[in-house]
Amino acid sequence: MENEFTTVGKRVVRSDSLAKVTGEACYTADIKLPGMLAAKVLRSPYPHAKILRIDLKRALKVPGVKAAISGFDTYGIKWGVFRYTKDHPMLPTDKVRYIGEDVAAVAAVDEETALEALSHIRVDYEPLPAVFDPEEAMQEGAPQIHKEFTNNINIHVNIDVGKVDEAMNKAFLVREDTFKAAGEAYAMKEPYAVVASYKNGFLDLWMPNAGPHVRAKALSNLLKMPLNRVRIRHINSGGAFGGRSEVSPGDLIASFLSIKAGRPVKLVLSREENATSTRQVHDIIATVKTGMKKDGTIVAKDYRAVYDGGAYSSTGPIATSIPFYVYEECYRFRNVRYNGYRVFTNKGIRGMYGCHGRAFLAGNEAQMDFMAKELGMDPVEIRLKNGLTSGEVTATKSKITSCGLKETIQKASEKTGFKKKWARTQRFKGIGMGCVAMMCGFPMGFRSGSSCYVKMNEDGQVTLVTGVIDNGQGNESLAIQVASEVLGVPMEDINLVNADTEATNLDPGSYSQASTFVGANAVKVACENARRKIVAIAAQKLGVKEADIGLKDRMAYSRKTPDNKMRISWAAREAFFRGEPIVGTGSFFPKIDFEREWVSRPWGQMAGTFSFGTSVAEVAIDSETGKVSIPHFTAAHDCGRPINPMAVEGQMEGSIQQAGVATIMEGNLWEGGFLLNPDLLEYKVPLACDMPDIETIIVSSRDPEGPFGAKEGGLTIRMNAHSAVACAVSNATGTVFRELPLTPDRVLNALQRKKGVKR
Amino acid sequence: MKTMKVTFHVNDEKVTLHVRPYETLLETLRERLDLIGAKEACGVGACGACTVVVNGIPLRSCLVLTPEVDGASITTIEGLGKDGKLHPLQEAFMEKGAVQCGFCTSGMILTAKALLDRNKRPTKKEIIKTISSNICRCTGYKKIVEAVEKAAEKSV
Amino acid sequence: MILPKFEYKSAENIAKAIAFYERYNGKIRYLAGGTDLIPLVKLRLSTPMAIIDLKEIEGLKAISHQGGWLVIGANVTLFELKNNNTVKEYFPALYESLDATSCETLQMRGTIGGNILQNTRCLLYNQSLEWRTARGFCFKMGGETCNVVPNARACFSNYCSDNALSLMALSASVKLVGPRGERKMPLEKIFSGDGRNPFTLMPGEILTEILIPMKRSKGAYEKLRVRDSIDYPLLGVGVSTKGNAGRVCVGGIGPSPLVYNLKDINESAFKDVAEKAYSDARPVSNTTLSPDYRKKMVSVLIQRASKKALQEGK
Repeated sequence: MENEFTTVGKRVVRSDSLAKVTGEACYTADIKLPGMLAAKVLRSPYPHAKILRIDLKRALKVPGVKAAISGFDTYGIKWGVFRYTKDHPMLPTDKVRYIGEDVAAVAAVDEETALEALSHIRVDYEPLPAVFDPEEAMQEGAPQIHKEFTNNINIHVNIDVGKVDEAMNKAFLVREDTFKAAGEAYAMKEPYAVVASYKNGFLDLWMPNAGPHVRAKALSNLLKMPLNRVRIRHINSGGAFGGRSEVSPGDLIASFLSIKAGRPVKLVLSREENATSTRQVHDIIATVKTGMKKDGTIVAKDYRAVYDGGAYSSTGPIATSIPFYVYEECYRFRNVRYNGYRVFTNKGIRGMYGCHGRAFLAGNEAQMDFMAKELGMDPVEIRLKNGLTSGEVTATKSKITSCGLKETIQKASEKTGFKKKWARTQRFKGIGMGCVAMMCGFPMGFRSGSSCYVKMNEDGQVTLVTGVIDNGQGNESLAIQVASEVLGVPMEDINLVNADTEATNLDPGSYSQASTFVGANAVKVACENARRKIVAIAAQKLGVKEADIGLKDRMAYSRKTPDNKMRISWAAREAFFRGEPIVGTGSFFPKIDFEREWVSRPWGQMAGTFSFGTSVAEVAIDSETGKVSIPHFTAAHDCGRPINPMAVEGQMEGSIQQAGVATIMEGNLWEGGFLLNPDLLEYKVPLACDMPDIETIIVSSRDPEGPFGAKEGGLTIRMNAHSAVACAVSNATGTVFRELPLTPDRVLNALQRKKGVKR
Repeated sequence: MKTMKVTFHVNDEKVTLHVRPYETLLETLRERLDLIGAKEACGVGACGACTVVVNGIPLRSCLVLTPEVDGASITTIEGLGKDGKLHPLQEAFMEKGAVQCGFCTSGMILTAKALLDRNKRPTKKEIIKTISSNICRCTGYKKIVEAVEKAAEKSV
Repeated sequence: MILPKFEYKSAENIAKAIAFYERYNGKIRYLAGGTDLIPLVKLRLSTPMAIIDLKEIEGLKAISHQGGWLVIGANVTLFELKNNNTVKEYFPALYESLDATSCETLQMRGTIGGNILQNTRCLLYNQSLEWRTARGFCFKMGGETCNVVPNARACFSNYCSDNALSLMALSASVKLVGPRGERKMPLEKIFSGDGRNPFTLMPGEILTEILIPMKRSKGAYEKLRVRDSIDYPLLGVGVSTKGNAGRVCVGGIGPSPLVYNLKDINESAFKDVAEKAYSDARPVSNTTLSPDYRKKMVSVLIQRASKKALQEGK
């Protein structure tokens, strides 16, 4: 009975892939509108400087220029995700805080003219002392980047559960390590772009984004326009990975330019601008102190993590917290203290990332392995011993309702022969394991839920309207697949209208792993409501009880006597006759503690459910060059029931690239406030030849709340693949890693510290 | 500055255009011919998103001046399917789940097409080597390699 | 990223190309595959008045055997050359360096001439005009300082051709044709040692041919890089031996490669070269891995390449 589904759980072809393989899929830069202008942004050449004057006059005189703006043409409203983080003016008028910050912009008939006009904008600056290192920035006397934030401390998250000091004192084994990691580049394949078209008092916008509703609200505030007049439209997105969640200066710039010029405006960022001036990933320094009992039970954890936040708050409170939570949702910590500091520096703005927190997470895991070894245990045993199980409550009071952690650990270790490989003393080879849990959605007030609307047309075809957005993960196909299952019509009969703030209902967006658990759940409820209407008519027409009606392959039929059947489209027509068309609305709101607040009240139910995962990396080190290769990678993920296993695998495989292989090559390089690798040549996104042989294991469980038992699909691997690689390299070198990425020079140093002796 | 008259075939159709001498093939395809399947992701030849096939060879169109392709025969992703049927590579990319955000897909498929045109049954190693010309940020490449393998089987 | 304005001219032969050079008073760049030149122009590191396309020049596309030399036209693509049987059989070091160059797609566009004459690179140089303006112009951009090494008098940008190293190891020569005539010289003579202007070519000169002595050789090319495709070398070592003599070339560090001749081919001779090269190499922190590390790798890679060459000999 379990697997009687028609499409759910099947390896279906994603609904969006046809347009993508034929080149017809439209992305923001592909949009052409009549009279459209090209915009260019003038950016700050200083890491920290007072703005004395911005003069646009000469730029406006360049033939072909239709509008020019600076911060003085805006309302000067500062953006922030939280009330206490409203610090980002988008176009500053007081001072610039990083190299590449948006200062002024022009719209012209073409890009060449716009570029020419930029050179005629005059900005007078008074350079100020700048600070680039977060530890330095926290010192007394360091240059102050925002006057509202003393010592440049943007966010301090303090969590203190149990009696940490007492437990640490009593612990049998205590170890403290400090880990560092360079921030990564999102490096989404599509550079940021936005099209704004202002007409008749309405503003239409297209841009790659991870949540249209949240963005429309932000823009309506910044533009002082009613929300219904700011319409974010659907468009394909060339990747987000957490970096496109918030309103961006480009959105505001294109909007103001379009309003001023009375014509549509397109702004396409260069690869460099995308790297320097959208979002970057936090550099992190994490000190991890752990106390264990003789039997390997973790009795105390004491953390200090410093996040280099760059120039503005962005999603700061969330970013400062998430690495801790995905870890405490995985392991049992009776006594734990976490001090997370997000610190301003004069560098680009740092945001959330799919692999966020690698120094913290990989550090914890690598340290655990070495402590286990001292206690005569191995990584598998120690993880099973401390891992949470279904029904348990985390340190900060989140209840775990379904949990496949144990299974992911067991399956991944069995598949790889982990214990044997870990214990052997083969030189320059290592194996490592990383575990993590992932919240599926987190508190975002009334935006934490999703609503959906579905209608059946006279031919039995379906129009599905949902705020769920797709950044490449396959969320659109997911929504269609769920609707197809409930309504008994094939996926190709379903037209999707999504992520368009005029047409669709509120949805949390795709950045808190909510799309499956929350968004698709709302789709399911809406379709079930529509289904009931079909079933009622079919039962009447077929002369059977409603409970006996099944819907499949466009037919309504009696389950007892399957030959007794009718087309679903007949039911749709009958419904129109009756003046009660088949429509359904539905929503899903996760059971979250809405009193929870990232800084002021960091406890209570975090999410409706949690997913779990285990990664295992096998590495080989070239003993002479220190270069690491990763011949094999195995990942096991508990995603509840996979709606489309092929899509879940795709997420896991991508995670192994973006978090796993990235561990040996990816990292932003800085010289003061200058990003040295804002490109795709010196920033090393792994290539096909750098990839391991991959084995993905889907641990299929049934979440009681998830749609068809599903949870999020693959993010745990994005949050633990780095741990697996760092642990494997530590295993091979015989010493706990110190800094990521594990480039050959660092690995060679580690080898030389240990003279290549594994144990 | 004076424009230059350039004639070439795109997807079996002859076009004659007057282009700027400093115009890239990528710009010409996208802006003048509305062939938006080729994408600009880096602009300096580091990523392969703008790959098109010119006289049988995969080229990064962001590095090619349009006057250079005078007389050439160009295939873009839009011209890959014939008579309403998808190319085996396009089918295989769909069926194997090799597409996520889609921004690298055109370039990836065209790079693979040029490979299959010169080597009908490439080994897995050869496929990996060839597609290591293109950056994909989403997939981890596994399903892309599988898709090219599948298309190679199909087209024999 | 849009290009700045320039004119485009296609030259049918060398004489016409040089005539264009003169017509534009030297404010031109010769174009072959463009994989190095076009990014430089996009970044406004080069702003020619005209680009003179050499690809249509027939004589530059051939590979031929002439009087004891393998003569390679400068416009032969790296991919064509890699698949040439003579190269595979006679010059393993060259085959390996071609195979290690960038990625297949760029090998199909990039030419051997262009690969040899690619500009030197630096993390602080290969950046956009905006980036460089904010940072301040260095020697190589016409400024007064080096942005990598304070108070330096020279430019340390790295020469990143893989193939020049193996070609030099094979004692290749080049033919140059310019406004003042034609000349031939050993490949290593084209390097000025000055990162600002890394080549000794005279204004308007065109590299037309690469000539390799037609003697079966043994050899290898070793490349240090982070990714196994697309990446430039952080260090490259070409080793080639013929009979009892051999050559080791080290590049990717500084503006001109290091060349060492060996009179005897044995492990200790290579070891001596490795030590010598280690002390000669002066990497600075102008690329992605640390200079200390790159220096250390000089001897590692030389020994590795020589081991391969020696093993092949057995």
